[in-house]
Amino acid sequence: MKPHGFNPAGNRLSATQAPRGPGGGVNRRQMLKTLAAGTAMAVAAPYIRPASAAASSLRALMWEGYLLPEVIAAFEEKHKVTFAPTFFDGNSEAYNKLRVGGTKDFDLVQADGFWPSLYFREKLIRTVDYAKIPSTQELFPVFKPDQYKLLTDDATGVQFGVPFCWGSYGITYNTAQMPAEKAASIECLFDPAFGGKLSTSARFEENIALTGILVATRMGTKDKPRPDGKSFNPYVLTDEELDGVEKLLIEQKKLLLTRYQDNATLAQLLESGAVVAAPEFAQVYRQLLNKQAKGEIDTTFAHTLVPKEGGLGWVDTWLVSSGVADGAKFDVCQSFIDTMTSKETMKKIAMASGCSTTIDIRSLSTPEEQKLYLMDRTGELASMYMFDQPSSTEKWERVWSRMQAA
Amino acid sequence: MTRRNFASRAAGPLLLGVPTLFLLALFVVPLASMVVLSFWRTENYHIVQDWNVGNYVTLATGGAYVTFLIRSLVMATVVSVVSVAVAWPVSYAIILYGGRYRLLFTLAFAVPFLTGEVLRVIALQGLLGPLGLINGVLMALGAAPLRFIMYTNVASAIGLVYLYLPIVVTVIYLSLLNFDARLIDAAKIFGASPLRAFFEVTWPLNLFGTLIGFALCFIPCLSATLAPRFLGGPNGTLYGMAMAQQFGESGTWALGAAMGVVLFLTSILAVLAIGMRVNLRRTGFTGFGRG
Repeated sequence: MKPHGFNPAGNRLSATQAPRGPGGGVNRRQMLKTLAAGTAMAVAAPYIRPASAAASSLRALMWEGYLLPEVIAAFEEKHKVTFAPTFFDGNSEAYNKLRVGGTKDFDLVQADGFWPSLYFREKLIRTVDYAKIPSTQELFPVFKPDQYKLLTDDATGVQFGVPFCWGSYGITYNTAQMPAEKAASIECLFDPAFGGKLSTSARFEENIALTGILVATRMGTKDKPRPDGKSFNPYVLTDEELDGVEKLLIEQKKLLLTRYQDNATLAQLLESGAVVAAPEFAQVYRQLLNKQAKGEIDTTFAHTLVPKEGGLGWVDTWLVSSGVADGAKFDVCQSFIDTMTSKETMKKIAMASGCSTTIDIRSLSTPEEQKLYLMDRTGELASMYMFDQPSSTEKWERVWSRMQAA
Repeated sequence: MTRRNFASRAAGPLLLGVPTLFLLALFVVPLASMVVLSFWRTENYHIVQDWNVGNYVTLATGGAYVTFLIRSLVMATVVSVVSVAVAWPVSYAIILYGGRYRLLFTLAFAVPFLTGEVLRVIALQGLLGPLGLINGVLMALGAAPLRFIMYTNVASAIGLVYLYLPIVVTVIYLSLLNFDARLIDAAKIFGASPLRAFFEVTWPLNLFGTLIGFALCFIPCLSATLAPRFLGGPNGTLYGMAMAQQFGESGTWALGAAMGVVLFLTSILAVLAIGMRVNLRRTGFTGFGRG
């Protein structure tokens, strides 16, 4: 008998195990009891599995685009664990999931920008040990803890996340339809000259924040002292700035063909010429350039990484949930992060997802790839405003709803 | 008491009890939770258990949410009317000319249901979009693309009709299947023209089935999320889409819960408004029994 094992066939009794009636046969009552017990066992099984079984699974709350089946399969084989991913779209969605008990449901979590520090403050994630994640040695200097502070606890100096991929929310544009000097400014997304040929994502936070940068620039409040005493953050806008954002977004609405829901749609819209410019994470831009290089499309596209007024940036990170205690599970979590941030995996992820990597993979990349994946432009990250939590989701929601209804 | 008597007495409560428990657990309890949540508030992704009617005040005075509801009511009405108008001749033709393949024809309408709703809406986005089949053909022929079907409320309406038409066809078909066609012959024998026989016999005696079809289209349209999201464009936000947003990225769950309660009450009112205008005994409704 296995002390902790559960026989998967436990709800089925073989002919030799089945209880028998007085005459050696099975009577109906016994059979019904057996069936009932078996059914109860089957229903309860997922909940009465021993704690030791839990270490055999690794549950991640992550972005779907980063899932590489062959890498995951090799990791599962090596560590004898089952990887169980759950996908989310935006940080706020993941945050909601973690807050409603998700720390017990997930071992690994992904987030970007300022979100990891919020998670850490709220004890949703725990610290990690870079010494157990050797691939962190290969981080570009700008993402190492001495320069990239967003994953370090100010009080203790320990790290609570590992940088993974990075990018901006820059502007991809059709060079034949929009001059580079226009595309260098956020103003191009509000220019009536391109009416009906613009698109933005459906994400309310980034739409408001990007417009906030423009509004604060126009109002002259971006470089002036802020009410909170800190430097300008497009996720912390004053009521006057939010009013300006609302007006501008309402004006922009009639210029938009649509708010794209996914990269595939945006790629189609840009490719067809129906849209000439759109803010995006540069993934579509890279897809289009690849298509052009293969001769599949003639149109030339360019990408403004940081508009002159300022731009939004993000660094996707791997985090370990606070539900993971020190021990075997924690070790597996760190091994997983190490696998995902190894040079070889990062190269595959860059190719598959179209994202720039925080790990220096130049030794594995051609000069064209180094240019395309901005491997020599990591320094520009410092000039971007990181994705953050809106200062008041309630106020931002009202702004977005009023714009949608206008 | 014999075992058979006990079984027959237990059958009723058991048969009714199981679905009642099911409804209590999966409908009444979540709905009650939603009502409770609607009287709390959220603050930066935190639920604050502070009893207040602020969410309802926001919905009533915010303007935007009233606009979404009106848009959804108009959209649901238009889509339901169009669906019924399309479904009637289709169902009638199946009954008249379907022969032994009638059921097969009706089931054929359900084929799209074998795929997911998201897939169907995205497929439609491809069809109606700038590079879609319709505009692609038009542009290949040198004509201008039809902008009104690209990311507009018209596109949403087309999507919703496409999604819910099979349900309406099935319901009207079933109503017509149970209709005694000899009544039409009787009307004609007494001198009624085919048109008059239709409007004075066929239509009123199948009105109940038609209204069921209308309601089964109208109510999900009120809360539609996917079609407006993928097809509606910048001006296409409907109530259901705005409500989903509260539970998604904005995390304003309490306001979303209040929107859900309002939607639930609106749906009930709509059904009551339709039901109160109809004399069930004269509309082909057979649920009263023989008494």
